[in-house]
Amino acid sequence: MTLVLQLAVAGLAIGSVYALIAIGVVLIYKCSGVVNFAQGAYAMVGAYVSYALLRAGLHPVLAIIGCMVVLGGLGSLTERLVLRPMLKAPLVAVMMVTLGLLIVARAACLIIWGPDQIAFPKVFPEGAISAAGIFVTYNYIAAGILALVLSFGFLAMYQFTRIGLQQRCAADNTRAALAIGIHVSNQVSIAWAMSAALAGLAGTLLATLNGLSLDLAGIGMIAFPVIVVGGLSSLFGALVAGLLLGLLQSFTDGLLSPVLEDFLREHTSIYSVGALQQVVPYALLVLMLLVRPQGLFGRRGTERV
Amino acid sequence: MSLVAREVTIRFGGVIAVERMALEVSPGEIVGLIGPNGAGKTTFINCVSGTYRPHTGTVRWLGDELLGLSPSTLLRKGVARTFQNVASLHDLTVLDIAKLGASARKDRQSGGHLLDFFRSDSALERELLEQILEPLELADVAHKPIQTLSYGRRKAVDLARALAAYPQLLLLDEPVAGLTSHEGMAMAGVVRNVRDRLGCAVIMVEHKMDVVMSTCDRIVVMAAGSKIFEGLPAEVQADPEVRRVYLGEP
Amino acid sequence: MNTRHLVIAVAVALLMGALSLAFGRFGAYMVNAVAIAGIGALSLNLLIGYGGQISFAQGALLGVGAYTAGNISNAGGDGLLAILGAGVMGAIISALIGIPALRLRGLYFAIATLAAQAILEYLFKILDPITNGVSGLVIRPTTILGIPMTSDRSLVVPSLVILVIVWVAVSRLMRIDLGRSFLVLRESEIVAKGMGIDVAHAKILAFFASGFIAGLAGALAGFANRLASPEAFTLDLSADYIAMIIIGGLGTWTGPLIGAAFVVLLPEAIQRVGEAAGLSDILSPLRELAFGLLIILFLIFEPRGLTALLSRLKPRSLAVPAPGAVPATGESLPP
Repeated sequence: MTLVLQLAVAGLAIGSVYALIAIGVVLIYKCSGVVNFAQGAYAMVGAYVSYALLRAGLHPVLAIIGCMVVLGGLGSLTERLVLRPMLKAPLVAVMMVTLGLLIVARAACLIIWGPDQIAFPKVFPEGAISAAGIFVTYNYIAAGILALVLSFGFLAMYQFTRIGLQQRCAADNTRAALAIGIHVSNQVSIAWAMSAALAGLAGTLLATLNGLSLDLAGIGMIAFPVIVVGGLSSLFGALVAGLLLGLLQSFTDGLLSPVLEDFLREHTSIYSVGALQQVVPYALLVLMLLVRPQGLFGRRGTERV
Repeated sequence: MSLVAREVTIRFGGVIAVERMALEVSPGEIVGLIGPNGAGKTTFINCVSGTYRPHTGTVRWLGDELLGLSPSTLLRKGVARTFQNVASLHDLTVLDIAKLGASARKDRQSGGHLLDFFRSDSALERELLEQILEPLELADVAHKPIQTLSYGRRKAVDLARALAAYPQLLLLDEPVAGLTSHEGMAMAGVVRNVRDRLGCAVIMVEHKMDVVMSTCDRIVVMAAGSKIFEGLPAEVQADPEVRRVYLGEP
Repeated sequence: MNTRHLVIAVAVALLMGALSLAFGRFGAYMVNAVAIAGIGALSLNLLIGYGGQISFAQGALLGVGAYTAGNISNAGGDGLLAILGAGVMGAIISALIGIPALRLRGLYFAIATLAAQAILEYLFKILDPITNGVSGLVIRPTTILGIPMTSDRSLVVPSLVILVIVWVAVSRLMRIDLGRSFLVLRESEIVAKGMGIDVAHAKILAFFASGFIAGLAGALAGFANRLASPEAFTLDLSADYIAMIIIGGLGTWTGPLIGAAFVVLLPEAIQRVGEAAGLSDILSPLRELAFGLLIILFLIFEPRGLTALLSRLKPRSLAVPAPGAVPATGESLPP
């Protein structure tokens, strides 16, 4: 039971970071119809930027804010320079250009910071709490809570503020938004800025947990199972599904993998199940698409014939 | 009667688009389906051609039930249709489209087959050129991509595609809409020719009254999803109810 | 059979053969790499460029081909049998990947193929008995029809022969009803249905044919590298192939080959330039950077690819827009 609790806490912490990434992907998709493969790149770049700011002696709070500002700028810059000229390009070309962004970002970080894993400077106090037989570092707690608070905060902003209203309006019906005087292309830029900033924060949090390396870019891919499970156009769905998949991965790693491995060793010549927790989200994705393509919280698209 | 539709009803959410619609057509007959916008004419055609699945009703063709069959199955049973708006199909030439239409004939696998790889289709090409494209005045552009043609000619290509299947029941959805009146009259002539040659039954949805009056043997008037009148062209023109509903007279 | 295409394909293959002879072992290596990439790009262009089904799983499909061919060949099967076996296996797995496409379309299906890629990569890693896990399956030099394939030089021959066959076969495929129905499918499924095309049948056959060709390419890649390992068939490889067909020109006949040559040769060219400029230390990331930037610039400024660029350079064809290079959605049915 303590193991389950321990796994649940770890899963929720990671899951809330997933949620931050996925919310960004959904935001961009809602507003501009683009599926952004470069979200992982924003996370990775964000982590490196935070690292650079921390190394420059900035207070962690300022470093994180600075990172989000820089990433926000990068996000809107991407939209202006790369995505806007491709408004009429076929879907596959748009998807490919975001993959190109990922390649460029990875190469740039490699040139600047080198290929080796870097120990991330201390952001949260060291130590851990142990209660009810479980043991959680402050780091995990802080990262999880921060990600969760920001996710909810963002959803609240999207729902209740003026900018959120304009965002929703632009995402819902471009022409109607234009007609009532909303500058839609600015809204698209803002959406990119916000989601890049969220991803930058997520990358920084992840780096405090797992260290800083180019592998952080891979986190962007987990966003796809998350958004499909949550519903491609639902921000709240992304949040819930992020947490859900964090839990699922944690339980797979801690409970399912050992059992499955024992079984396979006994009955087949397969020795290891490898990183089963990394592939489980994709299995869930396929299942979801086949059973309920609109996701948990998505609306079924009405297809007119 | 070879086509007998009864009690065809289809709803979209709370909107009843077609309600208890009935229609009969004999081989060799051209029936015009007219009515104001939103009367359910195209929706009815969509039901007969397998695009929509009505909630109730029957559509029998030579005794076989058509409802529930896919458009590809219907084509092999000899039911072909044209579309109101023509698709923009890059890369495909006029002849390609005609061949695709012909691929729906009974003796051929619909949508193509890997074994075609080793078959020559020059005989089919010649046949399509002579029988279908020549009468529609499309033979000279047979090898041109359809994107390069005028709207009127693209509509003719769509008709050629439907005709290439040698249909016994032909459903035409506004065949002359968007055409110049000269093109429209030519198209109407083609439709009559086709009927004479193939002896097929034709249902034609159309707004242009001059074309309808001069082409159709019988006219069915729809309004608000149901049939409100049926008769010869002259009778339709004379009926006060039709004039009120359709022509907007008091 | 389109004679003009046959002549072009044979001529290109002969030219590539001559290049491989002229530039020694390195030349043979590069020609082989371009030929294999060309076959892979042809398979993906069939699916995306002609059929309109976006797939990010082509890299893993090549892997399926490589592992299948490696196992058949290592077990003593002839190389030709191994290559054909790889094609069949690729076709089967590809058709399985395509099944969700019967219900999903566009974006949703593209995401489903991401999952297929991830799951296949995972299977490569854990199915020890067939794949030898993370260390990869060592493929011993094979013999094709009794001729030992000991070097890139000897492998160039089967690669080029298969390239010609596949290239001409794709040309032929697009001239039969099945190929034509792919093109309609690409524009709009609704239109395809309305025209009486059996959409499910056409889609599955598109995946089947594409998977078969991808399997062939994978087998040849396996023989060339003498190794099939999980790292060789990742999402990055899928992305490379998508880059090839877009850079070459989506849905064009020559595009896949041009794109394959471009994507394979570009890093080599950057390498040479970098070495000359004395940047050897950071060459590998620099190569990545240049590659990524070029892809982005290409997509922004010439989304219809090199084929369109080349045809624009010919003044005669100025008036004719490259048809279909950018598939637009056309709906022909009224609401």
